[in-house]
Amino acid sequence: MSNQGRPDGSGLELEWVETVQETMERVMRRVAGEYHEDEYGFDEEFAEAVFPIWEFLYKRWWRVQVEGVSNVPGHGRALLVANHSGTIFPFDAVMMGTAIQKEHPLPRWTRALVLNWAFDLPFVSYFMRRIGGVSSTPANLGRLLGQDEPVMVFPEGAKGFGKPFAERYRVQRFGRGGFVEVALETGSPIVPVAVVGAEEIYPKLGESGVLARLSGAPYVPITPLFPMLGPLGLLPLPSRWRIEFLEPIDLSGYGPGASEDRSLVFDLSEQIREMVQEALYRGLVKRGSAFL
Amino acid sequence: MSPTGRVVIVGVSTHWGSELARTLARDPGVTEIVGIDTAPPKVDLGETEFVEADIRNPVISRILPGLKPDVVVHCGIVLYPDEERPSRALHDINVIGTLQLLAACEKVDGLRALVVRGSAAIYGSAPGAPAFFTEDMARRLPLVTRFQRDVGELEGYFDNFARRHPQITCCMLRFQTEVGPGLDNPFIRYLTLPVVPTQLGFDPRLQLLHSIDATGALAAATVNPVRGPVNVAPDGAISLSRLLRLSGRMTVGMPPIVAKTLFRRIGSMLGSGGMSEDGLFLLRYGRGCDNRRLREEVGYELAFDSEGTARDFAAKRHGMSVLFPSPHPGSPVRSLGR
Repeated sequence: MSNQGRPDGSGLELEWVETVQETMERVMRRVAGEYHEDEYGFDEEFAEAVFPIWEFLYKRWWRVQVEGVSNVPGHGRALLVANHSGTIFPFDAVMMGTAIQKEHPLPRWTRALVLNWAFDLPFVSYFMRRIGGVSSTPANLGRLLGQDEPVMVFPEGAKGFGKPFAERYRVQRFGRGGFVEVALETGSPIVPVAVVGAEEIYPKLGESGVLARLSGAPYVPITPLFPMLGPLGLLPLPSRWRIEFLEPIDLSGYGPGASEDRSLVFDLSEQIREMVQEALYRGLVKRGSAFL
Repeated sequence: MSPTGRVVIVGVSTHWGSELARTLARDPGVTEIVGIDTAPPKVDLGETEFVEADIRNPVISRILPGLKPDVVVHCGIVLYPDEERPSRALHDINVIGTLQLLAACEKVDGLRALVVRGSAAIYGSAPGAPAFFTEDMARRLPLVTRFQRDVGELEGYFDNFARRHPQITCCMLRFQTEVGPGLDNPFIRYLTLPVVPTQLGFDPRLQLLHSIDATGALAAATVNPVRGPVNVAPDGAISLSRLLRLSGRMTVGMPPIVAKTLFRRIGSMLGSGGMSEDGLFLLRYGRGCDNRRLREEVGYELAFDSEGTARDFAAKRHGMSVLFPSPHPGSPVRSLGR
């Protein structure tokens, strides 16, 4: 509703009051449980509420450059396969999603398969779920693709996420190629993605076995700031990012039963891994200096 | 479809057995209903014939063939202990009882179908679990609780029986958590506590099966049984926090270290017996089941989805306020007063 704009300028005040009122109403509505969440627990309103944080990181903190975002289909199923890094938090997935929301002509929310142990951590578990994360099982991937959703997967998994700084931008083994099987079964196009920049946000110098055992986490990284500075050490470094979405690979040409052909699955998986690796090297050169 | 004929309901005095008998009584394809249990039904079941017998006793092998059933429905798998069934007897009732019943079914000539009312607890609850379990995913996660192992064991016997008797349609129904007006179980008592304790930092995805759908699906599977396991679960899922907000409950988050002991304590206080451990995991990680088989093969149309069940539950319990809870039968507040 527009304000009644009095000449003394109190209209501005009224607008402010209305914003507060709207926020209050929204909070009251959420307290009453009147909001929508989908069958995976994705809560669009929640995702919208935290989006400004991602926007800030995207624009100001990491100054993300994006190439080829229109390679992501604007509708229907799509499987985004990217290299993984981040050490502490999967910001690469968040930034890919933000790039699609901000730069794509047909923006939409992208789901992500999240490492399973994230769902065993208090708070992280439901935060991940609300912004669109699901546990990484082929069943979840197949179901989401079957519902024509875009899904991000990181086939390197924990090997890529927690690799030491010295091995940055070296794409690790792509698991058992389960994502290719599901893509073949569901006839989903695969969009390889190369993310440059996420390796520098928490440079992992070592691991603390003692802290890992104490906390039950699979590993506790040691970065220049963490755990030395405590929670402050969780502040990611302001590296420069570059995300490249490559041309989609159409898998609909392979006949039924192709997903059971192991050699085909491994070939495709390795092919995609190499495409991502090459794009990473290209992107590193194009990005230039990591922080300035 | 051929008419259903004579139906024998084992465990007819349980809530679900009685509800099934009532529903089937209205079905013209069902010619006769016989109920078996250790105690007579608490409600009037009209023309349903009642036979007093204990399935844990081998005598059942002599009684059952005499009843000449076309369909046997096993509703005698109990989840929660009560006055007549103490916690330590549950394993006997669930596993040994099922084993004896299967042995009795071997002796029945012309048995066409066996329907077992099992539990989705066999899937378990874990951080890395799929959002929706399909029927082929049982035992994918290790069976960690005592109740899960019981269900696993009796499903094993059931599978064996189904393999040995291909002429009998053996249908295992895996029920999700049930909620509904007029229903009383530890989970409902938990949801209606004056202040509901939750596990801090966890917000499980739950599927709430409405009691109307629970009965409806059981009756549908009795009339139209399909081979193998079938999940009985509603569409969608709802998070615990939203469920409690919809029903206007106050909550208090318990840190994980305390939660383990506390939830076990609360579980036994609310009468969940051997299920309190399952409850602990369920209320931390949640569980979802895929219901495509139920909808497409059994052909049952669910009346409520998870959210609908939650709203219905909240509306029917609206009279209860936080400050002056009006205890429903079986609530711990009521039993304290006695």
